[in-house]
Amino acid sequence: MVQQISTGDVRGGAKVEVEGQPYTVVSNEFVKPGKGQAFNRIKMKHLMNGRVVEKTFKSGEKLDLADVSESEMRMLYKEPDGIVLMDEKTFEQLKIPFDSLGDTLQWLLDDHLYDVIFYNGAPVSVEPPTFIEMVITETSPGARGDTASGRVLKPAILESGAKIQVPIFVEQGEKVKVDTRTGEYVSRVSS
Amino acid sequence: MSRVSHLKPSTALSQDKITRLRDRATQFKKVRAFFDQRNVLEVDCPILSSEASVDAHIDLITAYYQGQHPYYLHSSPEYGMKRLLAEGIGDIYQLSHVFRDGEHSLKHNPEFMMAEWYRLNFTLEQLIEETLHFMHLFLGPLPHRLVSYRETFLTYTGLDYVHTSEEALFQYIKEHNISYYESIIEDGKDALLNLILGSQIEPLLGQRELYVLAYYPSTQAALARQQQRGEETVAERYEVYYQGIELANGYHELTDASEQAQRFKESNLQRLALGKQILPPDQRFLKALEKGLPDCSGVAVGFDRLMMLRQQQQEIANVLTWGWQEI
Repeated sequence: MVQQISTGDVRGGAKVEVEGQPYTVVSNEFVKPGKGQAFNRIKMKHLMNGRVVEKTFKSGEKLDLADVSESEMRMLYKEPDGIVLMDEKTFEQLKIPFDSLGDTLQWLLDDHLYDVIFYNGAPVSVEPPTFIEMVITETSPGARGDTASGRVLKPAILESGAKIQVPIFVEQGEKVKVDTRTGEYVSRVSS
Repeated sequence: MSRVSHLKPSTALSQDKITRLRDRATQFKKVRAFFDQRNVLEVDCPILSSEASVDAHIDLITAYYQGQHPYYLHSSPEYGMKRLLAEGIGDIYQLSHVFRDGEHSLKHNPEFMMAEWYRLNFTLEQLIEETLHFMHLFLGPLPHRLVSYRETFLTYTGLDYVHTSEEALFQYIKEHNISYYESIIEDGKDALLNLILGSQIEPLLGQRELYVLAYYPSTQAALARQQQRGEETVAERYEVYYQGIELANGYHELTDASEQAQRFKESNLQRLALGKQILPPDQRFLKALEKGLPDCSGVAVGFDRLMMLRQQQQEIANVLTWGWQEI
């Protein structure tokens, strides 16, 4: 039996299944003109391809909840075609092909923790933690950079391969904290 | 999904919120002074009733007395007030919290403050004028425009709803990329008009003035009388909008008991078709109509919405002591 949720209870973050596809709800707008039939405009993001769509439902209609779960897993190593992760509690291992990693590819590093999203029991995506700490493997020494934003930045490459912008005072070999949602430098990490 | 996870963490009231609550208290005084000056009597009809108002699109919250007898929290004090009118009480107003199941959004709180009043021997036009004066109290002396539903539809969509078929309305929805729900075609013409109104028209109404949308299709009359305007039968009903926000809903009130009973039946049939529970129509209210409701017009104003506009808040929760996710 598929669990259902009424349009009135749908909140941002809810995982729903519409026309056989899994989505994460972004927003839910209730519209009720005068005394007429109310409807909900629900914006949702496809769980795998990340595409955002807006659908309209009659208020009170029920949506199927998607069978989605999350677990925190540690990345053990990369293979030529994917990565191998281990569940910290059960020690179960699983392999996820590179194709289903999307933007997360740039944040992959051995021995780091990631959220693995399962849909109908199968892993479908891997989310990096919001903040990640990594060593800068490549950046030019204190060159003049982009001053447009009032902060002086220069390009840098992290040990995972991600390309970010860092302040000019940050040196190669230093560890920095990065926001993975935006790819922005947050701070230096003293070791 | 657990309910608790939707709740916002408890935080202290901000100084801004306290300033808004003080302003709100001052506005209550203005409401009472407004009606005092006009010799309109304040009443406070009960919030609970053992029988219900029946409306296809308004869902009631039920409370259980001694854990078993259902009582309905009123969605407006209308029925109680009309019982008083039938007793000959004269002009009355009520300022009270009302409740609507499932109506939660940035602009809707399931529990909200309504100002409702009835004026004997007032035409719809007289009550419109008084409603505008009432709004000026809180929003300042804004200009206004009174436009019929038909004219409004024509202006914003180019459609003359009287002569537009359901198929043509549906075609319009598809051509204009209005997102719709699957069953809308089965729900009929009013549902299609409603979707277009809510998507293409409402958000644009009253950008610079109070927009009075009046003379609704007779199929959307609810508790309003009907009137012939040329070839069109209309409901003597109006709504007032400002900056795309609906503020008031008024009627020249229906006084015919048998027609009212018939509309209850139709609303219940509609509820069934929508997969909702049918509700027991309020017999005491129908009795009052049989006894005779005097000729009157009545209006309900969403007080919190007025405060949102007055205090320039985008979210209704900001003008309330605590919003739905903070209680």
